[in-house]
Amino acid sequence: MTLGVTAGLIAGAIPGFTVAMAVVLTLPFTFGMTATQGLSTMIGVLVGGLSGGLMAGMLTGIPGTPSSVATTFDGFPMARKGRPGLALGIGVWSSFFGGITGAVVLVTLAPQLARVGLEFGPWDYFALVMFALTITSSLSGKALLKGIIAGTLGLLVAAIGEDEVNGVARFTFGNDAIRQGFAFLPVLVGLFAFSQLLSDVQDRVKAGKPLMPKGTRAVRVEHRRAIAEVLSRWVVVLRSSFIGVFTGILPGAGSSVSNILAYDQAKKASKNPDEFGTGIADGIVAPESSNNATEGGALIMVMALGIPGDIITAVMLGALLIHDVVPSPSFISEEPVLAYSIFIAFFFAHFIMVTMQAFCLRIFVLITRIPMYILASVILIYCAIGVFALHNVGFDLWTLFLFGILGYVLRNLGFPLAPMILGVVLGDIAELNLNRAWSINNDLTLFITRPWSAFFLTLAAFSTVFPLYQRDRGVKAWTQFYFPIFAFAIAVPVVFMGGVVRPVLALCLVGLGVYLLWRRAQVAPRTDTKS
Amino acid sequence: MRRFHVDTLVAIFLLVFCGVFLAATFSIRETSYASLGAEVWPRVILVFLTVLSLAYFVQSLRREPVERQTPEPRGLKQWFLHHLNAFWCFLWFGLFLLTLPYLGMLVGGMLFVYVTLTSLGRRDLHGHALHAAIAVISVGAMWAIFTYGLKVFLPTGSLFY
Repeated sequence: MTLGVTAGLIAGAIPGFTVAMAVVLTLPFTFGMTATQGLSTMIGVLVGGLSGGLMAGMLTGIPGTPSSVATTFDGFPMARKGRPGLALGIGVWSSFFGGITGAVVLVTLAPQLARVGLEFGPWDYFALVMFALTITSSLSGKALLKGIIAGTLGLLVAAIGEDEVNGVARFTFGNDAIRQGFAFLPVLVGLFAFSQLLSDVQDRVKAGKPLMPKGTRAVRVEHRRAIAEVLSRWVVVLRSSFIGVFTGILPGAGSSVSNILAYDQAKKASKNPDEFGTGIADGIVAPESSNNATEGGALIMVMALGIPGDIITAVMLGALLIHDVVPSPSFISEEPVLAYSIFIAFFFAHFIMVTMQAFCLRIFVLITRIPMYILASVILIYCAIGVFALHNVGFDLWTLFLFGILGYVLRNLGFPLAPMILGVVLGDIAELNLNRAWSINNDLTLFITRPWSAFFLTLAAFSTVFPLYQRDRGVKAWTQFYFPIFAFAIAVPVVFMGGVVRPVLALCLVGLGVYLLWRRAQVAPRTDTKS
Repeated sequence: MRRFHVDTLVAIFLLVFCGVFLAATFSIRETSYASLGAEVWPRVILVFLTVLSLAYFVQSLRREPVERQTPEPRGLKQWFLHHLNAFWCFLWFGLFLLTLPYLGMLVGGMLFVYVTLTSLGRRDLHGHALHAAIAVISVGAMWAIFTYGLKVFLPTGSLFY
């Protein structure tokens, strides 16, 4: 795990290398390990990667990963004011406290959510998968349609080869090698890592230059002062950590979203919002606490329901499947050793991260002197070796190559890859649950009459419309009714879930909807009535 | 004609792709024991994908293409130069895969890294020496880790039997 954290810290620090890529590339190393060791190593890389991104951002102004974009807003100015050691220290300790908060929530919430998951039937699982895919696509920004197409293509890729339920071959086009379908790892590495590397070397001039300016040097981290600064801002730490955790629970929204959300909230809550961006501690504490806490939230979904929320947890799920462990609501009770090992690893990795940060800072400075084209070429062959090691068959390498080309083409055409990767991972789960649902009862109305299924399908419908809401907010009249209608719509399945708490919650949602409508009626409409 | 841009071509390609795959679903073997046939799920996906592709096609005709991650190069030559590095990588990786059964992972990998580095980077004498050293050290180290450390069998290559 120490090696994992170190590798994650270094990978996270290199601009262009995302945390997801570091986790993907670690997977082949875990084949020879037990599930517990493998998962611990990957969690080490994940925690290291999330914290490593701040080094590049603070020392050079170029964030190492998308998860640390907001850290740069105040981290870099503080470092330029001559306090790089303090800036790094605040970043490291905020990551630590944010991660620990995320771990506490993970340990507390995952078993509870798993209990809720036991209520799910195949209809509900199918609807949950659809929700995960639509929300991931809707978070693709302007390219909503492309996001949904990418997600659907992912489902289709998962459907190629032998059908898991009936054992019937599909879309083999006479090629026996395709009968087994495409293995998850070569598809993932090809789509994501291979295409990312090729995009990194696309610019010939940039690819030949060192990653960082020559003046970049390691500094001494001011730990004591930094701890005092972070602890004195415990409200910011807690608020940002909770933003991170709940962003992580939401499928599709990862640490790249949460760090900016937390920064924005810290700025809004601050008495001196104008000071943000000038190099203040709050501006480092908020994003760094949230990005480490986010993965605690994402792990909750994987461990409690077996549904990955982002690429990183999709790889984690893939790693579990390679070790013949299938996460489901009963995962924590059936595999307690592995489940609690993941909890402990997530805790422990944060302590290792703090210890290794100073050491990695020196290695990071050395690595940044290497031009991108050298790193890319070496990592390409490493991808090939790692993928071959999965099943020892040449077909996996051709799969890597094919999906590498596909990923590169899709990237250049503006298709987001995250929905496609989730589609590949969730395709089998969706089909299996559809089959189960059909075998139990071939009444399709169950998908809308069962409360949980209706709940997820309602969320899916509203998440699909959300990008249009964002586009038209304040311009078109219908956007005023988006949230009230959402509250009413979501209250319907919740009221039918039974018990005492849920109907009360449904009443609250109805009340919220009525309040929002009343408030809309009170304030002057901001919309352009002509449009 | 101005409207007939890349998105339109991609949408047409997707529609053809859906057509081919939908036709292929009729070749999927039907079983008597299945409650839900193996062809149903792929057909659901493909019908949905066809609808999405049609919407994409209409959208591409009605408005300007959405923002891309990389600026679109103008002209065939510029387009080729823009993607040249990626083409080198694809070419050498494809050759590496074709020669893998003969050269094996160690030698093939070293050659791949050396050739790719030389195609993407400097090509003077110092560059060749540096690339050769990187190829031997990096691939050699990884080969040793996987073969001896992780006990993974990597192809030796028929030329070295």
